[in-house]
Amino acid sequence: MVFPAGLARCPGPCDGGGAPTDSGSVPAGVTEGRQIYEQYCAACHGWQGEGAADWNKPDEKGEMPPPPHDETGHTWRHSDAMLFRMIAEGWRHPFNKTDRLTMPAFEDTLTDQEIQSVINYLKTLWTEDQRRYQPNESQE
Amino acid sequence: MRAMVSRLNSAVSGLFLFAFVAVMPTLVQAQSVNEGQSVRALTTDSSGALLVLRQSGLFAMDSQNTTEIPLPPSDSGAQPRSMAKGADGSLYLSGPGLGIWRYDEASKRWQSLNDTLPDLGVTAIAAHATQAKTLYAYLGASGMFRSRNGGAEWVKVDSGPREPVQAFLHSDMPGSMESGWLFAGTTRGVARSMDCFCFWGDAGELRGTVSAIDYDPSAPENVYAVIEGQLHHSSDGGETWAGLEIPQAVTALTFSPSEGLVVGTKNGELLSQNASGEWVPVYE
Repeated sequence: MVFPAGLARCPGPCDGGGAPTDSGSVPAGVTEGRQIYEQYCAACHGWQGEGAADWNKPDEKGEMPPPPHDETGHTWRHSDAMLFRMIAEGWRHPFNKTDRLTMPAFEDTLTDQEIQSVINYLKTLWTEDQRRYQPNESQE
Repeated sequence: MRAMVSRLNSAVSGLFLFAFVAVMPTLVQAQSVNEGQSVRALTTDSSGALLVLRQSGLFAMDSQNTTEIPLPPSDSGAQPRSMAKGADGSLYLSGPGLGIWRYDEASKRWQSLNDTLPDLGVTAIAAHATQAKTLYAYLGASGMFRSRNGGAEWVKVDSGPREPVQAFLHSDMPGSMESGWLFAGTTRGVARSMDCFCFWGDAGELRGTVSAIDYDPSAPENVYAVIEGQLHHSSDGGETWAGLEIPQAVTALTFSPSEGLVVGTKNGELLSQNASGEWVPVYE
């Protein structure tokens, strides 16, 4: 289930600068990322990135529900490369009782730049500490 | 004649004395290893020898020899509680009040890894299964810490599971979003998280205070946990568990390259399974 490193794609700045800047301006791509998020992601992950209720327990089908992407979740613990991979290729929790990709693959729907824009938008949902942690601590 | 008898007596006495001096250290070592003290923790060293932690000390044991390894110094008299073997074979030892130490086999000395830990209240440690420099420590109220440079710098990464951690394990079982999995034996059972610390969830429905946990490196889905002396086995990464029958109460476990699963018991014995599946003393 671990993805081969060779499959990792991360166009543009992988250490991403998606968070609001000190001056309060919104980096390029974040607005686009939000629009894409609301179109493709929000129905499952919540309009504010709040995730599904009881997201950290299997649901009645034995599947892990969509996690939050805001500061209450764990998205900030992953590198840009891993986030890109999961959006592009999809994901299923290895202990799900079903075989389907509960997180669908978007590589045929979104361009690489659009995926990176979504990641940049997600960073605006994290705390300052989490934004600092993510590039320094998350593994590539 | 009397002189001859005297010389003969002297020679025989000398022979006995020589035999006594030659054999005694082995006897002392064997007695200190098997004196009935409960086994606190088990692991193996880089050569595959068993490392056995008891109240009386730490012993390296293979089929031929048993040697004592002096424990790290402690002003407070703190006792070690857990051990871990790094991916490069390094030995790590920890305990509440002791912090974390690494044993340098070349110099036969312990090196403190406590400079950047907030306190010495380490109740459990784990070493990454494949990354030699990555270590994990649980400090009770202070939470979970990780070092990626062999203990030179520790960073708090998580609060850990809801219940306090008694035993800790990193596994390279496939399926993680990052590089492996963490299993924490708590007072409620086994908790499991990917090593990104995404979240801690129950690993199955095994309940009770877990005192030891390990996995089979050659078949990582096989996880073993001890609750109140009873050994439990999961063949699916902690989803389901079954009890294993062992004639004694188990207190520690590890995987030996030569012996497979080895358990330490409350009676102080070390047991492994023979070809018939019976639990028999190790190296006998």
